[in-house]
Amino acid sequence: MNRNRLVEYAILSIPFVLLFVFLVLPVASVLFQGLVYGPGSTFFEVLDSVVTQRVVSFTFIQAIMSTILALLLGLPGAILFAKLRFKGKRYIRALLIVPFVLPPIVVVVGFLQMFGSGGIIDSLLMLIMGSQHSIIDFASGYVGIILAHAFYNIPLFLLIVSSALERLNPEIEEVAEILGATALQRFRRIILPHIRSAILAASILTFLFCFMSFPIVLALGEGSYMTIEVQIWNAFRFFDYGEASSLALIQILITLVLAYTYMKLGKDDKGASGPTAYSKTFPLSSLDASMKILAGVYLLLILLLSIGPMISIVRAAVWDPKTSLFSLEGFANLGDPTLGGGFVPLVNSLFYGSLATLFSLILGTIFAYTQRSRIRGLPSLTSMMVLLPLGVSAITLAYGLMITIAVPLGLSSNPWPLIVIAQTLIGVPFSARAIEIAMSKVDPALIEQADSLGASTLQRLFFVELPLIAPGLLVGAVFSFAMAIGEMSATIFLATPENFTLAITIYRDLAVRKFIEAGAASLLLVAICIIAFIVIEKFSENGYGGTL
Amino acid sequence: MSGHAYPRRKDPKKLIAAVAVIVVIVIATYGIVTWKQPTFTVYTYDSFMLWGNDPDNIDNTVFGAFEDQYGVEVRIERLITDANGIISRLVAESENPVADVVIGIDNILILQTLAKSVLEQYTPSNIDLIDDSIVSALDSDHYVSPFDFGLITVIYKLAEINVTSHPQLENLTLPNLADLSSYLVTENPHFSSPGLSFLLSQIAVYEKLMEEDWTQWWSDVKGIIDVQEGWTEAWTKWDSDPTRHLLVSYGTDPAYGASFSGGVPDTAIAPIHYDGVDYAWMQVEGIGLVKNGPNPTLARAFIDYCLTSAVQSHIALNQWMFPANSDVEFDPVFQYALHPDDVSLLNALLSSTEIATNLETWLDEYDAIMTG
Repeated sequence: MNRNRLVEYAILSIPFVLLFVFLVLPVASVLFQGLVYGPGSTFFEVLDSVVTQRVVSFTFIQAIMSTILALLLGLPGAILFAKLRFKGKRYIRALLIVPFVLPPIVVVVGFLQMFGSGGIIDSLLMLIMGSQHSIIDFASGYVGIILAHAFYNIPLFLLIVSSALERLNPEIEEVAEILGATALQRFRRIILPHIRSAILAASILTFLFCFMSFPIVLALGEGSYMTIEVQIWNAFRFFDYGEASSLALIQILITLVLAYTYMKLGKDDKGASGPTAYSKTFPLSSLDASMKILAGVYLLLILLLSIGPMISIVRAAVWDPKTSLFSLEGFANLGDPTLGGGFVPLVNSLFYGSLATLFSLILGTIFAYTQRSRIRGLPSLTSMMVLLPLGVSAITLAYGLMITIAVPLGLSSNPWPLIVIAQTLIGVPFSARAIEIAMSKVDPALIEQADSLGASTLQRLFFVELPLIAPGLLVGAVFSFAMAIGEMSATIFLATPENFTLAITIYRDLAVRKFIEAGAASLLLVAICIIAFIVIEKFSENGYGGTL
Repeated sequence: MSGHAYPRRKDPKKLIAAVAVIVVIVIATYGIVTWKQPTFTVYTYDSFMLWGNDPDNIDNTVFGAFEDQYGVEVRIERLITDANGIISRLVAESENPVADVVIGIDNILILQTLAKSVLEQYTPSNIDLIDDSIVSALDSDHYVSPFDFGLITVIYKLAEINVTSHPQLENLTLPNLADLSSYLVTENPHFSSPGLSFLLSQIAVYEKLMEEDWTQWWSDVKGIIDVQEGWTEAWTKWDSDPTRHLLVSYGTDPAYGASFSGGVPDTAIAPIHYDGVDYAWMQVEGIGLVKNGPNPTLARAFIDYCLTSAVQSHIALNQWMFPANSDVEFDPVFQYALHPDDVSLLNALLSSTEIATNLETWLDEYDAIMTG
């Protein structure tokens, strides 16, 4: 084996080593200690408990229902955005994708104020009906949880499915049309088979997110509805480490099965959708009246669901419920450099987020290579590893990072490097996927030409491959950054006041009824996300759907 | 790019090196700027002493004198969690503790073996500033000493209901409360100390006074009562939802309301009533010495300092709890609060051994009802 080969293997192994040290090892050590030494319940006691059984079945059922709802609401949008041209499409799409990266606490507050009893819609209905009593409450219990999950995950369907549609060669459809196929037949026979694996991929990701859901269920579940992750937190807080570890183990096993399925589906997809020279879109005016109305109603409905909670965030940023006055104090607080103010968290958010983005792009790029590697088993291992950060209990991970890394290294009084690591990990699934898809579009002939013209590996990487996958890098970067600044579960456990991020200060401020400060911080997060998405819309002409 | 002149490419190695150098410099700068000198560290929960007029300077006001006397910087680290979360952190850090003192461990949490395992027993030299009854209500073994205390009770919004519209509020029994549970917001006993206190109150009344099965009450109200995650969420829900008039909260809430709305409280208290007597659960929050902390001598002095009026006199108006030190006088606004003398304490009905033995079972039974 020559030296170059060794260097190549060394580089390819970096993300695996990092994921092993910062994800597998901490989690495994928590699980091992909890299962073997406790204190608390044993694995079999946990399995045997009626509460565990209910929690596991609720976790499954709500995840399935949320996935179905997100699919039903997201699919028409995906087709609409892939096939129709209309004014403002770029901005509407950017707005619709924002929910995916909002911190859960922002979603919860927005949801309650929009859809909850006494919220904006309920107040309107009460006014119209002249009722003294609350009429609707879509922000609590089963309904609330599933709606909030749909809100979160519709963007996944919009992105992934419309990207698959954009990769469908329009000539196939044209031929079908010429041969006399009706619209319905074309949908069933051509479009549906083509986007089937994209739908399944989006469904599995959505299912995984809902399956792992923690803050949403905690906030809207009224104490009666618990996911496994909530129950882990529950057990952990009362020091039943045996139960917490048992549940985390169950969770990981289920995640691995899902990740495996996801990987298999990814394999089937290969080759089915190559790069297309162009994708065909229709102007809105080409639709007939009833379709126009249908599309309009759909857009209105989905905008209400997706943007409604954001509107209430705008209100929360400027309206102080304590004094019942409009005020800009919340924004002023974002410039306050003292420890209680918003400036340090803002700097922290940007700094941690930028570092995490950089690292997750590097890891994602290497993963994209290993995913396409010819070494046997490596692509499968990569797919599993890439999905792992989404399927491991964030609380278990944070606790594991604390006991295996922060405390032995004396980092626990200022554990910011660990926060960056945790934020990097949750970005990797997105950067790796975006970059891998971009790579699959690169014409291999270009790479071979670079090789035959004598470019070194680095030259080829920098001047040929990276520019070609730039759109993928950009999308990966934006998603990693957005995931990082929205990260809650691990950061909240690790951070000391010097390390607070904007997302954490929202919790901090709400805890002492500093509503307007929390509102302004939320609005800033939303604004950062919207700007980021508009930037990628500008950069990728045909919609960035193509790279996620 | 024109087809003729190819731009001169820089050496990618230089580019990588330049990026790496910049990243390292930025990281190093951030690392140095935020480098933490070892200081005297106090772990506490997120809202500790932040409810007064000047929360930004409260630490300096309250602990400044101690800093001057001992020439040390006191760092009050408010972690975004409650006391259970702080214990988890102390457990995680027990190999290499960072904190010297912890504030906020209450009379239920201290019954956990793991909580005791991260604390070192210490009897403050000035413990006689505090009533024996408060000390023994918290922890007779002195792992923690009382810092402040409060009563958990039901409160309601006067603008929405009152004893005329709902006469049962005058003598609110738990069965009455079950009937009114569509009005009630409470906190999850797993995640919130007022929520857990309310659960124990309910268990004490049913099991010890009424001699009935406590689980029946929760079966009756399940799906009707609004259980929020924590006190803040519950308060926000209660405050914003016009259909939820009742809240499980602290008996000092009307005093807080009066203080901030200028004189008259907008909320009233309805203690749990049974057979001619009003009852409430007392939560005592303690301060304790972290085992193997970096500055044990200073930590003992700090605990002593916290029991003196220098700290205790700030508790009422910044923490809205009763100071543990009984010599401290209250602000007049505390006339609207529920005082320990006004009620019979439910804590007396449940011994600490009984709670320690049964807490897990009770919570499991609660879960079994609420998830069923």
